[in-house]
Amino acid sequence: MKNGEDYSSSRRTFLKSLGALAVGAAFIQSCAKKIKSIALRLTGTSHILGHRLWAKDFPNATKQLSVPVLIVGGGITGLSAARQLCRRGFNDFLLVELEDHTGGNSSNGENAYSKYPLGAHYLPLPNFHDKELISFLEEENIITGYDNAGYPVFDEEQLTFSPQERLFYKNTWQEGLIPRYGTSEKTIAEFDRFFKLMEGFKSQKGNDGKYSFDLPIENGSLDTKNEELDAVTMQQWLTDNGFTTEEVFEYVDYCCRDDFGLGIKYVSAWAGIHYFAARKHNGGEANKEGVLTWPEGNARLASHLKKYALNKTLVNHIVFEVIPVDDKVVVKAFDAQAKQTIDIIANKVIMATPQFVNGYIFKERKPLVKAFNYAPWLLATLTLSDLPDDFGQPLSWDNVIYKGEGVGYIYDQHQSLKQVHQKKVITYYHVFSCKDIVAKRKEIYGKRKEYWKEFVLNDIKKAHPGIEDFTEDITIHILGHGMISPVPGFIFGEARKQASSVIENKIFFAHSDLSGISVFEEAFHQGINAANKLINETALD
Amino acid sequence: MGNKKIGFEVLLFLAVFTIATCGLVYELVAGTLASYLLGDSVKQFSFIIGVYLFSMGVGSYFSKFINRNLLNTFVDIEILVGLIGGLSSVILFVLFESVYYFQFILYLLVFITGCLVGLEIPLLMNILKDRVTFKDLVSNVFTFDYIGALLASILFPLVLVPKLGIMKTSLFFGMINVSIAIVLCFMLKKDLKNPGLLKAKAIFSFLLLLIVFVFSESILSYSEGKLYGENIIYTHTTSYQRIVLTHNKNDYRLYLNNNLQFSSKDEYRYHEALVHPVMSMANKVDNVLVLGGGDGLAVREILKYDEVNHVTLVDLDEGMTELFKTNTVLSDFNKHSLTNSKVTVINSDAYIWLKECKQKFDVVIIDFPDPSNYSLGKLYSLNFYKTLNKVLTDDAITVIQTTSPFFAPKSFWCINKTAAQVFPVTDAYHVYVPSFGEWGYTIAARSLSTPLGSAKRRVQGLRFYDYDYSRLNDFPKDMRVNDIEINRLDNQILVRYFDEEWGRL
Repeated sequence: MKNGEDYSSSRRTFLKSLGALAVGAAFIQSCAKKIKSIALRLTGTSHILGHRLWAKDFPNATKQLSVPVLIVGGGITGLSAARQLCRRGFNDFLLVELEDHTGGNSSNGENAYSKYPLGAHYLPLPNFHDKELISFLEEENIITGYDNAGYPVFDEEQLTFSPQERLFYKNTWQEGLIPRYGTSEKTIAEFDRFFKLMEGFKSQKGNDGKYSFDLPIENGSLDTKNEELDAVTMQQWLTDNGFTTEEVFEYVDYCCRDDFGLGIKYVSAWAGIHYFAARKHNGGEANKEGVLTWPEGNARLASHLKKYALNKTLVNHIVFEVIPVDDKVVVKAFDAQAKQTIDIIANKVIMATPQFVNGYIFKERKPLVKAFNYAPWLLATLTLSDLPDDFGQPLSWDNVIYKGEGVGYIYDQHQSLKQVHQKKVITYYHVFSCKDIVAKRKEIYGKRKEYWKEFVLNDIKKAHPGIEDFTEDITIHILGHGMISPVPGFIFGEARKQASSVIENKIFFAHSDLSGISVFEEAFHQGINAANKLINETALD
Repeated sequence: MGNKKIGFEVLLFLAVFTIATCGLVYELVAGTLASYLLGDSVKQFSFIIGVYLFSMGVGSYFSKFINRNLLNTFVDIEILVGLIGGLSSVILFVLFESVYYFQFILYLLVFITGCLVGLEIPLLMNILKDRVTFKDLVSNVFTFDYIGALLASILFPLVLVPKLGIMKTSLFFGMINVSIAIVLCFMLKKDLKNPGLLKAKAIFSFLLLLIVFVFSESILSYSEGKLYGENIIYTHTTSYQRIVLTHNKNDYRLYLNNNLQFSSKDEYRYHEALVHPVMSMANKVDNVLVLGGGDGLAVREILKYDEVNHVTLVDLDEGMTELFKTNTVLSDFNKHSLTNSKVTVINSDAYIWLKECKQKFDVVIIDFPDPSNYSLGKLYSLNFYKTLNKVLTDDAITVIQTTSPFFAPKSFWCINKTAAQVFPVTDAYHVYVPSFGEWGYTIAARSLSTPLGSAKRRVQGLRFYDYDYSRLNDFPKDMRVNDIEINRLDNQILVRYFDEEWGRL
């Protein structure tokens, strides 16, 4: 309750320091103990089953079924397509998924203390002109109403709670991701200039009156004003524009790694700028900042979409051939549980699968795939008995270590309304930003879980010395093809267009990798667009 | 003869080395303690180093006035440095909170230690100047001096503070200091005048330091007692908080995590003002909910109304409610309210409990801890009041303890304004509770048809509240503020206001 009036500041400091001493003592004590065992698990996407696509050593079909529309792939794109089909009255469809669950990169895990994301974990507030997304959020009560000015009001429980972000910089945590304390005037001036430039790009419009940078990318301007930005790397662009301070490069690099899986050295300047310029924050004064998030991350959004494919989903089915035959499409899928192949005869198919998979299913598309770069991701969820911390900015939703190897960690229980958590659960994110990601992926799959344990702890240790003594459980989750990375030339290149082209008005392609950026909004619209195209084609038939 | 000479010099150089090490350790102890107790470590360390170096200069200056009994003085100083330096941390720990001139004592101790250490070096040079060539002397003395300093500065953060703690470190080095003096007494007894007295002084000092060293733990807990300024009669650590009950004359005080929860002398003011306005204004008081308030004092007031059929108390901490059910001193305070047959005690997180609650209540009394951190800040959010709204009957009234409108006006009006977003009728009032200062509440009704102010029922025997609400809801100028934001889960603006306002005190 109340604090008495004799609660003097010196007493407060004294108590704080007693606390510091206690923490220190606990730390020293725990160091003296032998390293206790940490429960360790390694999970990931079913790459073993997926790799069977190389050899295609599947048995002949022993079963057949027919369906008007088939969706291949149960990530956000496939689920969003399912929703759109339902909304337009096409309820007779089937969705097949390789994994044992749908959701794709928007999946989650759960332990005794919290749910946690196994991939994407937040949705920035939507652009006000993105009516599709806004109506979806309204359907799911994420938007609870509209204010007097007509702007959406978001459910308080689904907006990130405060404090949102903190940065471990010069040995202490400070609020926000941009260093404000302990940095030079020059750095601050460069940040100001950087954001001013980004504001310019944010409001820039093409000759067609559309935003130059928009979400989905497809809705943006088609003119080629900014094509040269796609020819250089983000790092080059920063240098060309006179940026020099390490903090600015580090920050932009962090943002690119976080959204594209590759840093400023490897992604195109167009993509880098898109990160800052595509989200307009034009949904009213109350919605200038913040994001939507859930303990399980975007698995929450996936679960809203899943209801549209309820009882219409086959999991553990790997599609390995899609052949147009007369006015039908024959889709061969291997049921990994029953160990049998089925032929699914469909009128129309939506391939909501990534292009590196489509390269195996459609031989002629193999050469196209080379242009698609996929960054691997590693997620580690740690259950902690305590989180030793300094006395700077307190534990926040997003916690980033300046110049850390990873892109920080999320406090998974941050959105909980509870006062006290017996254990803390955090999810650490890591991308492998490098030149040869194919070789890197091989290397990653070759490592054992003990290696990853050290790897993860060593990075977190920079801000939390002694973390290993408080860690009770680590679940490592590896996504070999974590996300599409927009390297120079990709956004304005031909590969995206060619890979999106419809086959015989029967096979439609939809995936966030076709837009070039792996975010929920892109996948969501890809699904809607594919469903709409399919329905329109059907109407023409 | 030659051997003995070397022995003499080596001994004295060893003494220099020890003095340098110990001197720096005392300085570091003072700096660390000052930053622990007073905060602002950069300032504290900077001042302490400055004062220390300056006082060494003062000591050096005064060394020229010492012309006789150089060696005796040297050993005397060695003992004194050990004693003062060794006890410095204990003195500082115990005096903090009880004296206003703490900083003066801190710098005095640093100054004395510095002076004494400053005296030592020139003194030693004087002692040795006839025995060693000047060049070697200067070089050797300073070599040992600086090596000692290096050793101290490395050992201090890496080994001493982690292994021994601040208090034991300074005592330990005090003992080393004095033991060098003891060694000197024995080895140089021929060169010393009256070595017996010196020995006695040194051994006495050593024993004193040793005793304090052994009892340093209990001194630490005594200083915790000093911190409260009262006799601690009961302490109990539950899963969530540390409960401390103190007793001073006829006043009992309860602290939760070192924050004053109530004083038995004036808690009736706080609890009568919390409970009786809403209880008297509500249309019905059948079913009452208390959130927080695990001490049962609010429930005690509620039970004074016979009309009350049922009271539900939701408090997170089972340790707290059990204590107030079973402890005789404490259950005397709450008149055994928590074991009353009308009362149900639920140990649960209030927010989560409310979310799942299917009942409706006529009156809700919210007595949460102040919003001093982001966890507690959630319990004052817009979303919380929306959640609360769902468990209220149509004409229910609720009251919220709203921290101090005098010390924290922004926090106070932030809570009030946030509640006003959800409830059509709100008001604020305040009372003076001597042990807290001016304290305030927000009252909110769910229906426009529930007028705030008129008492529909009264009980006899109250000591503070006379059912004249209009005397409580007037706020003078210094308790009003404008331009306050609404507290939401995604901005937690209240915690920022609170930190800014209470942090300033």
